[in-house]
Amino acid sequence: MGALNNAEVGKYCNEYFVSSYQKVATFKIVGAQKQGGNVAAYFCAPDGRVLHCVAGPVDAQTFLREAKWVVETTKTCMKESVGKDGKMDGAKFKEQFRKAHAEKLRQEFGIVVEAVTYDPPEAMDEKDALTYRDPTGRPLAPKLPPPPINGPDVTLTEAKFEAMQKNAAAAPGNRVAVDGKGRRVVVTNQSLVHQIMAAHSMVPIERVYGSVFENILGEKISTKPVDVVKPFTWVDKNGNRLRPEK
Amino acid sequence: MRYLMLGAAVALMAAPLSANPTTCGHGTKLDFVDSPKEAAALAKKEQKLVLVLHVSGHFEDPGLT
Repeated sequence: MGALNNAEVGKYCNEYFVSSYQKVATFKIVGAQKQGGNVAAYFCAPDGRVLHCVAGPVDAQTFLREAKWVVETTKTCMKESVGKDGKMDGAKFKEQFRKAHAEKLRQEFGIVVEAVTYDPPEAMDEKDALTYRDPTGRPLAPKLPPPPINGPDVTLTEAKFEAMQKNAAAAPGNRVAVDGKGRRVVVTNQSLVHQIMAAHSMVPIERVYGSVFENILGEKISTKPVDVVKPFTWVDKNGNRLRPEK
Repeated sequence: MRYLMLGAAVALMAAPLSANPTTCGHGTKLDFVDSPKEAAALAKKEQKLVLVLHVSGHFEDPGLT
């Protein structure tokens, strides 16, 4: 096990977080090869609303850095969200946290998005027109729209932005996206997380996980057990016909 | 007296387990509780945040995390 087997990660996470896990997708075993298999780590408030996420496998240093960012940002946003009556303002906390994601995206990836601090109406009940369902009638995990990329950070020099883009091109999950002016920018799993979180942090995990697991990691959500695929049971892995057992 | 000492020894041996009886590391350095619901309740009680892993694959796979 990579990051989660690191002693420092374990110590920090056990001190600040209560951890749990869920199986949300399947993977296939084709012959002796495993296809698929992925992980997303959600840092949440105790009520299940997502503060941040690490999409895909990362090294211990990256995981620890993101975990510490969540804890420190939570503390800062809590301080800044205290109203005149001395009580914490939840709406202000959400606004601060989304802005913090947009700022981290700008600082680490040189990409600018506008934090969305207004949430659209949610479905009221199962028969509401806003409740989408799959053919079996099961409500679907919504695909939350990320805020559009405004473009590169204009305070950066061209060389600095190009260096950031080069780093992004070497990171896991790198792909090309288009900003508001049609310019191509390289995004990564983690920059996409910040982009989504700039509009959807402090949203319940059941509304966010579909976007992370399917849109960012490219996995199909499923609770099926492992699929074992061996289409030709009468031949071995080298293609030689097996003799029937006597 | 003998029973008292025996009881104390048993209590000391059981203490680390009874403090958090349902956690398991699954081969990692993290202590996992059984479900996100349980994690949420415990986090609220201990004033911590919650870490939920969504996985498709084996925890024991070195490349998974």
